[in-house]
Amino acid sequence: MIASLLPSISPGTLLAGGVTATAASLWMLLPRGRSGRAERSSRWLGGLLGLAALAAFIALGRRLGSVGEDTIFLVVALVAVVSGAATVVSRSPVYAAIWFAMALAGVSGVLLVLGGQFLGVATIVVYAGAILVMFLFVLMLAQPAGLAPYDRVSNEPLLAAVAGAVLLGILSLSIGRLAADPASCCAVPATKAALLATDPGAGPNGPGTVDLLAADHVARLGGELFGRHLLAVEVAGVLLLVALVGSIAIVSRGAADDEATDSRRATP
Amino acid sequence: MNVVTPAPLVVDGLLVGAILFALGLVGLLARRNLIVMFLCAELMLQGISLSLVAWSRHHGDWGGHVLVIFVLTVAACEAAVALVFVLQAFARTGRLDSAAWQSLREANLPRIVDRELPATDAVPPRFPRLTPAGVAPATDEDALLEREQV
Amino acid sequence: MNFSDPSTLLVLVPLVPLAAAVLTVALGRVLGRRSWLPAVAGIGAAFVCAVMLLSGMAREVTGVGHDQPARPVEFVTTLWEWAGVDAAGMSGAAPQAFSIPVSLRLDPLTATLLVIITGVGLLVAIYSIGYMHGDPGEPRFFALVSAFVFSMSMLVAASNFLLVYVFWEAVGACSYLLIGFWFSKSAAAQAAKKAFLVNRVGDFGLAVATFLLWMTYGTLNFHDSVAADGTLVPGILGATRLADASAYAGGAVGTAICLLFLLAACGKSAQLPLHVWLPDAMEGPTPASSLIHAATMVTAGIYLVARTAPLFVACPGALTLVSIVGATTALVAALIGTVQNDLKRVLAYSTISQLGYMFASLGTGTLLGFTAAIFHLVTHAFFKALLFMGAGSVMHAMGGVIDMRRFGGLRRIMPVTAATFLAGALALAGVAPFAGFFSKDEILAALHSRGWADAHADHHEGLPADGHAAAAAVFRLVSSPTDAARISAGPRASTLDALDTPATFRLLFWMSLVTAALTAFYTFRAVFMTFTGPTRVPEEAGHHAHESPPSMTVPLAILAVLSAVSGWWLFSTHSLATFLAATPSFTAPAVAASATPAVFHWDLAIQGTLAAALGIVVAALGHLGRRSDGPQPERFLGPLATLFANRMYFDQVYAALIVKPLQVIALIAAFVDRHLVDGLVDLVARVPLGLGGVVRHLQSGIVQRYALAGVIGALLIVLAVVARAMG
Repeated sequence: MIASLLPSISPGTLLAGGVTATAASLWMLLPRGRSGRAERSSRWLGGLLGLAALAAFIALGRRLGSVGEDTIFLVVALVAVVSGAATVVSRSPVYAAIWFAMALAGVSGVLLVLGGQFLGVATIVVYAGAILVMFLFVLMLAQPAGLAPYDRVSNEPLLAAVAGAVLLGILSLSIGRLAADPASCCAVPATKAALLATDPGAGPNGPGTVDLLAADHVARLGGELFGRHLLAVEVAGVLLLVALVGSIAIVSRGAADDEATDSRRATP
Repeated sequence: MNVVTPAPLVVDGLLVGAILFALGLVGLLARRNLIVMFLCAELMLQGISLSLVAWSRHHGDWGGHVLVIFVLTVAACEAAVALVFVLQAFARTGRLDSAAWQSLREANLPRIVDRELPATDAVPPRFPRLTPAGVAPATDEDALLEREQV
Repeated sequence: MNFSDPSTLLVLVPLVPLAAAVLTVALGRVLGRRSWLPAVAGIGAAFVCAVMLLSGMAREVTGVGHDQPARPVEFVTTLWEWAGVDAAGMSGAAPQAFSIPVSLRLDPLTATLLVIITGVGLLVAIYSIGYMHGDPGEPRFFALVSAFVFSMSMLVAASNFLLVYVFWEAVGACSYLLIGFWFSKSAAAQAAKKAFLVNRVGDFGLAVATFLLWMTYGTLNFHDSVAADGTLVPGILGATRLADASAYAGGAVGTAICLLFLLAACGKSAQLPLHVWLPDAMEGPTPASSLIHAATMVTAGIYLVARTAPLFVACPGALTLVSIVGATTALVAALIGTVQNDLKRVLAYSTISQLGYMFASLGTGTLLGFTAAIFHLVTHAFFKALLFMGAGSVMHAMGGVIDMRRFGGLRRIMPVTAATFLAGALALAGVAPFAGFFSKDEILAALHSRGWADAHADHHEGLPADGHAAAAAVFRLVSSPTDAARISAGPRASTLDALDTPATFRLLFWMSLVTAALTAFYTFRAVFMTFTGPTRVPEEAGHHAHESPPSMTVPLAILAVLSAVSGWWLFSTHSLATFLAATPSFTAPAVAASATPAVFHWDLAIQGTLAAALGIVVAALGHLGRRSDGPQPERFLGPLATLFANRMYFDQVYAALIVKPLQVIALIAAFVDRHLVDGLVDLVARVPLGLGGVVRHLQSGIVQRYALAGVIGALLIVLAVVARAMG
């Protein structure tokens, strides 16, 4: 019955409904400081909504491909940009960090759309999973109670904003120009073209290009990384080691200086 | 001549990267909290990464992807070292304020003082704080007694 | 020894002391208390070489009688070319190739002086073993003495005016270092500075004279040399030029050169306007004073004038001025010496006075005058070294006290010193048969011969006809008014030549005779005050006032013997005069023509002896055997005593006339420097400071502003690039 009904609903509507239902379900399921009946009914409702959302996504599954790539890109790009802006303008550094996590999610979506499957995942894992958590730890170690005065004012906000806007304008102009006149930027150099002419394999973008959207994308990326860029990988490994050693060295040297500060803070 | 008109997707990706980069730049220049500054710097890196991947898509080449991986690596290194610096700076001044270091200014220049800030209208949210390592946590006996369960 | 090639020995004489000096400097710490070893050995070896050179040179000269015109004997060895400039590289009307060969020469004058320098140097070095014992600066002292002997040997052996100038300066530097040996003592440092600065005045004269010589003669070599293109370049004192009677410039240029030489000689030899450094030089160690006074430093001026005799003879006025300066110095220094109470200071003024004698003798321009000056230089080296070392011995025993009023009757404590000092005093006073008597007699004879030329010429009846005629001609040439008028009217004359009259030399002769009496007076005043009368010892000496060690008394004894007999020996055999006559400089026709046979001038000897006896008697009346409160003759001088005691106010006059104006100029210069020059420099500094003051406001200490500035700059660049790309 329902199944027969579904096809008449457009995939977009379905997706929107599913997403909304998911959100509502989660909101309802989360503890919200209530008790008694209201609490129980809210849980039930949330559970039902969750089931509905699940159904909507399952139904959507086969038709999601028809949702335009552009639409998905638009959504994730919006998420990235809005969250980025929120990161910049958040008064509280903790909120800024969380908004940054949101922006990371958006960026990772854009990466996925652009064909960077591995990078999309890696961004989430490395940034959100490691770096951002480190930021939050530091914030919790160092953040004073309440909102610090320096979080409530900015340094030359007008100049900075204008500079950023001008930069964006220049970049947009440049990007627009290269879309309008690809020969000015996107011509393959003659030497490389000659080299590529002998390449038997051909990607979707012509001879010499690789198919980034191939099924074994990650395997190919790994091959590229540990093949052509092996030396760079080794250097990056050394860089990580150096950063590790350096951080520890700085911490241990600063320990002596910190003792006075620590004792001052320990005895308020 | 092998000219490929950039796909609209590539152009859009470049545009998003540019927006993120500009946003991060504004934050880096304007925000005074050292950690927020770092977040903004990371935002700029994200914009760069997006652009690289977009170009990679356009050229059908692995270079952009590989470069983004190295950007990730360097960002991790940078975060490790920089956060240690931030902690050290905080240990010295007790603040995460970049203007706390304006004693490095030229001699005889006046100190830049924040203008009088209006009182905050709302109670700022409280976030969990970690006890610095090696310092005994301040224990509130009454608060312990009031806890019903642990 | 094959004397045909004495170059090895000639090089060794300066080289060994130099090696000793370097060795002492290098090994001073290792040698410790034996740091005298290299100096004594080195100067001793140099002395042996010098004696061998002298004997070889003497054999070379023998066979030429005193009556015959002397044959010039010289030997020149060129070691290497020091500096050379091609004629092509020079500008001017007639460019000449300029070259400075490092060449050493050997002739009778050089050989004589080398023996004196190394001999007295050796005795001084031996004496210093005892005198300097225990001084922390011992190695430095012996290194300096060796260097001093080296410099002086090179000065008299160099065969080039530029080399002479170089070692002239080297001698000055060594004397500076020796006078200021105890540099931590303010007086010593001041005295060293004074000696150096006063000497600079003379050095300036020598430098300018060297320039003038180059411009006038086109060479600086003494000897004839062969140019690169095979032509003979006649040296200034070479055989070619000496043979030519008119080869030397007279007139303004020649006189200027000679006067500049005289200025240089006055500086080094402490003659009248520039004598003020020598009495202060007593602040150095006594052996160093002995070395400076007797053998090295002060003889440089005598050597220079004697060496350039042909140039001086061409300028009679300048030559006469040499005599005037010398005789005046002798008198003034003797007068000052009469009232000094510092034993070493008495001797210092006596040195100035005796050097004045030598200059007076040189100024006569006769062969007798030149040889007499060198003769007196030799005997003076002996007895003045003896007297200084004796004074040093007294000072050593008296615990550093040198004021004669504070001790007396020392002959009982220090018999050897007293006896040798007495020998030196007799020689200095000119008592026969001690050395000073003969040399002073020669000098008086030289002056007398110019003052009473006719009488003097008649004095030598036994002369060969030509010699007699030549001598008489020379004397008459300068004595007859018409000839003098002709000379002064000629192009080769200068107005100064008007000084050259017999009357001048008569005056100088009487001044010298008075000086002789004064010399005897102050010398014996010092002897009587120091060695006779009741024995008194200052408390600084403690209870162990004693005779000095053998290392000090042995040189005294050697010098005493030399002071006693050298004059008689050298005079009676005429060996020195004959020997020196073969010096190329003295074989110039004008000099050689004035040769006179060696005669003992009984009249002059009697006059000199009477003068000396008068001085000794007056000194004995005042000081012999008595306390210093006796009827001292100098007390009757009245205000003159104050004048002499204050050294005729030379220092004060110099302070008022030269030092004070210079200080005022220095103050003005300092003011200009501080306020004008520094002000300009400060102005230059203020411009960037002001600009920086504008820009420094950008350095606010807020890093984000820097970043903002960077971003804005980058944006401007990007905008420019984009604007160009957009067309």
